[in-house]
Amino acid sequence: MTILVTGSNGFIGAAVVARLLARGRRDVRALVRAGSDRWRLDALRERHPHTPFDVFEGSLARSSDAARALEGVDRVYHLAASLRGSPADMCLNTVVTSKHLLDAVIRRADPPRVVLISSFGVYGVGALPKNSMVDENTPIETEPARRDVYSATKLRQEQLFWEAHRAGQRGEHAPFELVVLRPGAVYGPGTGAFSGRVGIQLPGIFLFLGGDNRLPLTYVDNCAEATVLAGESEGQDGRVFNVVDDDLPTCRDYLDRFRREVRPVRALPVPYPLLWVGSHAVAWYHRYSGGQLPAIFTPYKTESIWKSQRFSNARLKALGWRPLVTTEEGLQRTFAHHRERDAA
Amino acid sequence: MSDLKVVIVGCGKIADGHVEQVQKLSSIARVVAVCDRERLMAEQLALRFDIASHYDDFDVALERERPDIVHVTTPPASHLPLVERAVAAGAHVYVEKPITPALADTEALLDCVTSAGKKFCVGWTYFFDPPALAMRDLIAAGEIGAPVHVESHYGYNLAGPYGTAIMGDASHWVHRLPGGLYQNNVDHLLNKLVEFFPHDDDPRVGVLGARRRRHRYGDARDDMLDEIQLSLSGADVSASGLFSSHARPVAHLCRVHGTKNTVTVDYNSRTVVLEGARALPSALGRLVPAFDRAARMAREGWRNVERFARSDFHFFAGLYNLIDRFYASVRDDGPPPIAARDIRWVARRLQDIIDQVEPTP
Repeated sequence: MTILVTGSNGFIGAAVVARLLARGRRDVRALVRAGSDRWRLDALRERHPHTPFDVFEGSLARSSDAARALEGVDRVYHLAASLRGSPADMCLNTVVTSKHLLDAVIRRADPPRVVLISSFGVYGVGALPKNSMVDENTPIETEPARRDVYSATKLRQEQLFWEAHRAGQRGEHAPFELVVLRPGAVYGPGTGAFSGRVGIQLPGIFLFLGGDNRLPLTYVDNCAEATVLAGESEGQDGRVFNVVDDDLPTCRDYLDRFRREVRPVRALPVPYPLLWVGSHAVAWYHRYSGGQLPAIFTPYKTESIWKSQRFSNARLKALGWRPLVTTEEGLQRTFAHHRERDAA
Repeated sequence: MSDLKVVIVGCGKIADGHVEQVQKLSSIARVVAVCDRERLMAEQLALRFDIASHYDDFDVALERERPDIVHVTTPPASHLPLVERAVAAGAHVYVEKPITPALADTEALLDCVTSAGKKFCVGWTYFFDPPALAMRDLIAAGEIGAPVHVESHYGYNLAGPYGTAIMGDASHWVHRLPGGLYQNNVDHLLNKLVEFFPHDDDPRVGVLGARRRRHRYGDARDDMLDEIQLSLSGADVSASGLFSSHARPVAHLCRVHGTKNTVTVDYNSRTVVLEGARALPSALGRLVPAFDRAARMAREGWRNVERFARSDFHFFAGLYNLIDRFYASVRDDGPPPIAARDIRWVARRLQDIIDQVEPTP
């Protein structure tokens, strides 16, 4: 069985390749762009000298490369996505690239199974009451233009896959199996210090916005294990899985531990009611000034990101997933990495 | 014409700026549709800016929308054919720089528009930037005397949002321009000079190109020049220019040396500072200028605070001014804000650069 991993040198992508190798998969094709820095895959090769995998150069920005990458592939783990940049670039590098991949999938007479890494950001949680449970039945965002660009882009990407999946079931092209994973905040050695859910770093001060909200962390290896497991399990076509770990800390726990175990952080706590009022003020000024300053906070974004929520991983656990790394161990490893980086 | 219908073709990064500025001119114009051959790109732009229609076929967009003005914000190789279709459909056109990859195509494009009696504007965003306008006021008031020499410095950040897109993709359209990266940017350097050279003055041009990065990719990205040093010598005025991808901070400056004084225009900090000749003798004459310039800079800083307070300190102020003037020329059937002869002068200087630094195929 040949397995294609897109975004294979990314933070989660390399971990997915590692989990596939750990599960004894031998025909792994890691898609990378020409000239990209492949340090994660290089490190993986050193750790698994007797388990070769194929590094395949190509860009999903080109349909022809997408078709070449898919030749002979039985399963695709699609992780390639843009994390930052202008809205147009993020659309180009996440949505348009996904379309090219999908076009190649559905042109095949025997399409591969597709495992898509989506995001918690696709849920329309802004209108939900405080402390609502976010699970796979939570409604999808209906106003993506009002959300952050990343969430809007991931939503459009996911919609493309569902549209094609339904078209396949209607017989418009060969049907393909689709499994979607929606991770929370993926962390581990190599990520930034703070998820945006905890707060935002401004010059000289950290705006602490998360308060006592539960932080939906998933350690990168746990997320990769969930991804591979969902991809290998039979009978999961058309299903969605949220990916969060157990024993989730609050944002305050996370910040306090970071300060104790990594470095001091000058933080300005902003309680939710104040943030909500401030968001109205920022949005008003943005409109009033004709966009002189960006609307980094709006009431809608604030309600979607910084209102307290609860998170369920019950469906994933029913599939047999268990975290490979406890949250305690994951935080220790992550903070140790930050200490080492600071020391360097 | 009180309500100009605008269609934007090409929905990449720069299209955001165009839509934003046109939407600020809502009393005279509105974006009725956006178009991109990749429908998803058109869709994302329409969704974010609440634009009624989006298309992946330009001819269909022209047919259905019947625009008065088309903004062409696609890669330059497509500009000429798109302009020809827009003009044939009766539209005036605004085209992002660089106008076309080759001088002959620029000439053909200008001929196409003028022979159809349509207005044309090129995306020289900074030509009407607030500091450029202030500089022209100083020059018109005789503050610098007669211009003698002009320095133009345009910096580029390869790690910035545009730079990373170019360096991340060997097939990016910038790599297919004859002059690559500098051709996509040197308009901003050259158009600072054009107003100081008489139109019949074909200055002697000297150019040095450099590549100061380590080879890394093994493809077109490694071949790209990232620095251009330029000198122009005309009958009455000379000029020098630097396009650099490595100098920090990333500069965007123009310095005009006159027979009386020198003015320095910083487009990044939006300051325009006049440097006068020494008025006092000996040591005193060396003591005073620093304070004089500090005072002038402080005045500029305060002026910027006032503009900010008036919500008149936007990143795309120059683009807004340019579009506003272009639309006024369409509405009033007046001359366009940038003369075709200026566009030709810059296009010829660009060709001079390409001829000197690019290897002959």
